[in-house]
Amino acid sequence: MTTVIMRTTARAVVPIILVVALSLFVEGHNLPGGGFIAGVLTTTAFALLYIAFGLDFLERGVLGRDIEPGKTPSRDRVVIAYRRVFSFGLAISVASGLVPLLFDLPFLSQTYVEFENVPLYGHLELASALAFDFGVYCVVVGGLLTILSVVGAE
Amino acid sequence: MSDPTMGAPVLLEMTVAGALILVSGLCVLCSYRVIRGPTVPDRVVALDTIATNVVAIAVLFALLTGRGLFVTVSLVLAIIGFIATVSVAKFVTEGEVIE
Repeated sequence: MTTVIMRTTARAVVPIILVVALSLFVEGHNLPGGGFIAGVLTTTAFALLYIAFGLDFLERGVLGRDIEPGKTPSRDRVVIAYRRVFSFGLAISVASGLVPLLFDLPFLSQTYVEFENVPLYGHLELASALAFDFGVYCVVVGGLLTILSVVGAE
Repeated sequence: MSDPTMGAPVLLEMTVAGALILVSGLCVLCSYRVIRGPTVPDRVVALDTIATNVVAIAVLFALLTGRGLFVTVSLVLAIIGFIATVSVAKFVTEGEVIE
């Protein structure tokens, strides 16, 4: 079991990591960042939770489910959800690459729209690459968390 | 950037350049501890110090060139270094990383 210091630090640090991951994801189409590094940072936030609170914390502590005794953790419903996130992200990426073909454009062509007078932002630029980035994000989060929870249970 | 005739940016640039040289030298000194360190915790602490020094190098480089993206680099490196240190410390003390 980890110490109180470790658990308190994890409680403070995990939201910071998630906010950094979100900002890297949003600015990804015109600055360094994007889906991959945002996914890796989100995975490190979950890894910190696993290290500080143990492998059962997400299933029992956050979601409030009871774990059936004798069941291996790789059969948890959380792990099945991670696998679903992986396939969902792969589907989103492939679909966002195929959509330009409907408009007689090459595979994976991207475009963007600009909004003026948006509250809080003023000028907002929405790139269609964000959909592809979101797919990459889901693939990275799902794949790395599946590896982490299955290998961590060994 | 402020007026170049004021002299303060020159002083700042010199200070940052000196700090960059100092931190790079510290990285070399830490690598000696990584290679020769008698025990595993010695090597872990040295590697963590090298990671912190690389964060400092990124921030100093951002100050020198005025590019904000290196601050993002330092932020991500600091997070990864923290996770690495915590997991190695738990591995050394308890023998397993995730229970």
